[in-house]
Parts: sequence; C-alpha cells; structure tokens
Amino acid sequence: MNWDYFFVQFANGAVIGVIYAMIAVGVTLIFSILKIVNFAHGDLYMLGGYCAYYVIELLGFPPLAAMFVSMVALFVLAIMLERLMLTPLYSDTTERKDEYGLIVTFGLAYFLRNIAVIAFGPFPLKPPSFIPGVLRIDNLILTNDRLVAAGVGIALMAGLLYFMRRTIWGQALDAVSQSRDSASIVGINPRRFNSFAFGIGAALAAAAGALVAPIFSLAPDMGVLPNIHAYVIVILGGMGSVTGSIIAGVMLGEAENLFTAYFPDPTRAFAYSNAFGLVILMLFLVFRPQGLFGRRHLRME
Amino acid sequence: MSGVRQLPAYILGAAAVLALVFADQLNSYWMHVAIIAMYYGILASSWSLLAGSVGLFSLSHMAFAAIGAYTSALLIKWFGIPIPLGMVAGVVMCCVVGGLIGWVCLRMSGPYLAIFTLGFSEIVRITIATEDDVTAGMAGLHTDPLIAGAATRLPYFYTAFALLALSLLVMGLLVRSRWGLFLRAIREDEQAAAASGVAVARFRILAFAIASGFAGLAGGFYAHYIPIITPSMGDLNEMAKLVVMTVIGGMERLPTAVGGAIVVEFLLEELRDYGQWRLPLFGIILLLTMRFARNGLLTPIWLRFVRLGEAPGGAPPGIGEEKGSEA
Repeated sequence: MNWDYFFVQFANGAVIGVIYAMIAVGVTLIFSILKIVNFAHGDLYMLGGYCAYYVIELLGFPPLAAMFVSMVALFVLAIMLERLMLTPLYSDTTERKDEYGLIVTFGLAYFLRNIAVIAFGPFPLKPPSFIPGVLRIDNLILTNDRLVAAGVGIALMAGLLYFMRRTIWGQALDAVSQSRDSASIVGINPRRFNSFAFGIGAALAAAAGALVAPIFSLAPDMGVLPNIHAYVIVILGGMGSVTGSIIAGVMLGEAENLFTAYFPDPTRAFAYSNAFGLVILMLFLVFRPQGLFGRRHLRME
Repeated sequence: MSGVRQLPAYILGAAAVLALVFADQLNSYWMHVAIIAMYYGILASSWSLLAGSVGLFSLSHMAFAAIGAYTSALLIKWFGIPIPLGMVAGVVMCCVVGGLIGWVCLRMSGPYLAIFTLGFSEIVRITIATEDDVTAGMAGLHTDPLIAGAATRLPYFYTAFALLALSLLVMGLLVRSRWGLFLRAIREDEQAAAASGVAVARFRILAFAIASGFAGLAGGFYAHYIPIITPSMGDLNEMAKLVVMTVIGGMERLPTAVGGAIVVEFLLEELRDYGQWRLPLFGIILLLTMRFARNGLLTPIWLRFVRLGEAPGGAPPGIGEEKGSEA
C-alpha cells in the first residue's frame, strides 16, 4: 500500500469535509429553526464565492477580508430573501407549509443559478490564492489554500459552536429550535430568530464558497453538488444537530475521497463517488432517519 | 339543464377537434414545440397527481421519464421488440420502480421525501451517464423512430395528443373517483385519513406507481420522437422546469398543470430572443406565484371556465360526482 498517496487523499478528504460541513451546518440550522430544507443553500454558497471574488478583483481587498465582506453581504441578502419569500411559513393561514417551503426554495435555487449564468458568465473564474505556495512534509504535498480553507473553516465552526453554547443569543436560537411556543413564552421573539438562522446559515455557506474558490474555481452551477452533499451530511449527522453535521461532514469528505482514490475503475470513480454519498443518504433515510447522532425532538415529517 | 352544465366539456371537445383538424397548418417548428409541450403536459399532470393531489413532493419524476426512455430504447436495441411494446415495458418498469420507491419512503413526508427522491434521481442520472458501454452515456443513445418514414411531424403530433388525452382521462377518472378522495385525504392529514379507514400505505404506493408509470410513458414517447436521448433528460434542471410549469399553471388540478406546461413551453420558445433571461424570468414568476397566487395562475381561469353554463349560485361541479367506484 502506498502510504503517501493515502495520506494526501486523507488530507484532501479532511479539507473537503470541512467545506461540506460548513454548508451542511447552515442547512441543519435553517431546518431546526424554520423547519424547512433549504434547496437554495448551494446557490447561496455559489453567490458567496462570487461575492468574495468581485470584492477582491474590483475593490482590491485581500482574500481573507473579502471572505468576511462576502459573509456579511450574504447574511444581509439571506435575511432579505427570508423576509420577502418565507414569511408565509409563519402564518397560521398558510396550508401545507412543507410544500410551500420546498417549492419556494427550489424556485429560488433555479432563479439564483440561472441569474448567476447571466451575471457572472458560464465560464469558471478563479480568485487569487489566500497564501500562494504549497506545504511539503516529506512526500506529503498540500497547497496552502487547502490548509487555509480547513483552518478558517474549523475556526468559523468552532466560533458558531461557542456562540450557540455560550452566548445568550445562541441559547435563544437553540430554544427556538426545540420549541417555538415555549421560546416565545419566555420572551424570545421566534420571528427574529427565523431571519437570524437563515442569515447565519447563508454567511457560513458564503465563507465556504470564498474558501473553496481558489481551489476549485467558481462556476454558476458549483452549488449543485455541495448542496446534495449537504443533505447527505445533514441526514447522517441528524437533522438539526450542528455538532453531528460537523462530524458527518468530515466523515463524508473522507469517505468520498478515499472511495474515489481506491475505486477499482478510475474512469468511473469520480462519478460514482457522488452516487456513493447518495446511497448512504437513502439508506439512512430508510433505516435510521434520526442520523448517527440525531436529536429526537425534531419531528421526522 | 344538464346539457348546459356540460358546456365546458363540449367546448373542450370542440377545441380538441379543431386542434386535430388544423394541426397540419402549423409549420414544422411550432409543431415540434407543440409535441414537446404535450410531452411536458403528461409529465406535469402526473407530477401534479403526486405532488398536488397526494402531497408527495417527489423530485425524481424526470428520472422516471429517463428510466422509461432508456428501458424502451435499450430493450428495442437488444431484443428488437416492436416499439410500442418497448414503451409498454418502460411504463411497467416505471410502475414497478415507482411503487418500490413509494414503498421505501412510506414513512417519509415533506422535506425528507424530497431529499430521498432527489438522491434517487441523481443516482439514476449518474448511473446512466457513467455506464456508457450500455447507455452510451453523455454522448447519447440513438433510438428508433416511433413512426418509421414519417414525412412530417403530424403523426407524432397525433400520437402525443392521444397519449396526453389518454393520460388525462385515466388520471382524471382516478382523481374524481373515491380513490381520488382518499388521495386528497392523505395530503391533508395522513393520520386523520388513516383513522377514517383510508389504507394510507397502499394508496401512497399506488399514487407513486401510477404517476411514475405516466412519467415513463412520456419518456418512452420522447425517446422514440427525438432520435437521441441523453441522461440530462432526467437531471435536476429538467425537474426544476417541470416544477416551474406545474406550479405556475396550478399543481392541484390536472388541466391547470397541463395548461402550465403548454403555456410555459410555448413562452420559452416565443421568448427565445431573450436568451438566457427566460430562465430566471420563469424562476421569478414561480416565486411570485407561490407567494401571491399559490393555487396557480391558470386555476382561476379554469374554475371560471368549468362554471360556464351553470346557474348562478349553483353548486360547483364535481361535488355530486364523487360516487365513484369501490375502494
């Protein structure tokens, strides 16, 4: 067995896993508060990447600062979208809210993806590196961009966990996810947290988009696959569990990368690595819908 | 009285006859658009049966069209069976696989069902695209024409029309029957339906099987109309297009869903000058429809049309017609 090859693949898998986890955490957060699956999440990730690109190219910001600008921009945009499109979800007169949430976010995804083709062009764009160059330990070679992506991603998710566990706003968010009615009885305005959760999810996706851009470059349909991966992760980690999503994200990144690396037929490995995740998704939905570490209070339907 | 109540049916019948008689006046291009519109009409109506009537928001409907298309095309290629038999095989295949999917996701609803079917749809697409020694992959599989040596598209127009009419007839009878009532009861409240004696599991599986079968029928027709099929006929962009069509038309009724498919398909062609802008435009229309007119843009027109000839203040049609068959 070639250990160098294994370690490179392992390291790459971890980096991709962190990126997946950042997207999935947003999906799970939005699900736990708004009770909808956001089909447009991958497209918010795409917009975040493009936003960072244009902040770098047009305003001359350094890449890391551009990432933060992009996070703020997507936070605001997501809140606007949520206010415009998702408010019927909170109204008692709306029937079949699941259906409404599904179709609206699905339509939003369709809109954003196609408007992105017009606004940014169909050709891939590549922003400058965070830190050019590669890291070399013996035969293990990793580009610095991948290290930055993983490091910043881990830091952001640690920040989110700290926020959710240790701050009053974070605890309020958790309270709303457990029971909207009880939360409003103790004086939390659930509506405010709907917007807030949607915004935070979008900001994390934007950061993921900005971090990935120098590695894989930007394209209008770049959000489709990560979006599906995010669902796999969210189902694996348990709908509504942030920690579960982080762990499952890294696991999926590893599993897929190693699957691709060691699949016997290399020409098909990449295509089937995506199908591999989807098979896991379907098996979990059938046999263990609460995921590996699912929180039981979240309803199945 | 009953003669006047039947007025909408007579108008529809007359419109159908006119469409069939004057179809040869269409030039080849618009006839092609009409045929494709009817292909989407079958898909939109069967999807509306699933998503609108039963509330099963499946995202694998286009994947079933692809399964129907590839099943038919491959069986014909391997065994040389006649094309109609291949299409029937595609329909049967879709019914079986659709019933299986319906069975597997019996306990899922809402977002979970959507994610599950999304996963299934992508697996189908990836498999078809990757196993290129069988399916010719992204290069596309060449298929035999349904009507060999047809000089014009007119025979295809008639075939598509007949298939659409057949689908609407079967699904319309189903929706109006006692079973249709059960299906709507499942959509409104599964537990309440079960408590009232509806065999929820059986009807969910049945709805999946029937809707998938019609998707397979549409796919089979498409495969032998367009001489080449590619895996992208079942991808998520096509699914999004189907959702746009059905929701804009009105996803709760079969005729409005078909109307949505036909109107959107014609508009997409008519607005070709606007190139890329058409797609986000329809995305916006979809969002506005969901936000402000959730029943669909064609539903009010359809309801008004159905009530033509009815005495003012009379009962809406349909209520007395749910006598239906044995469950």
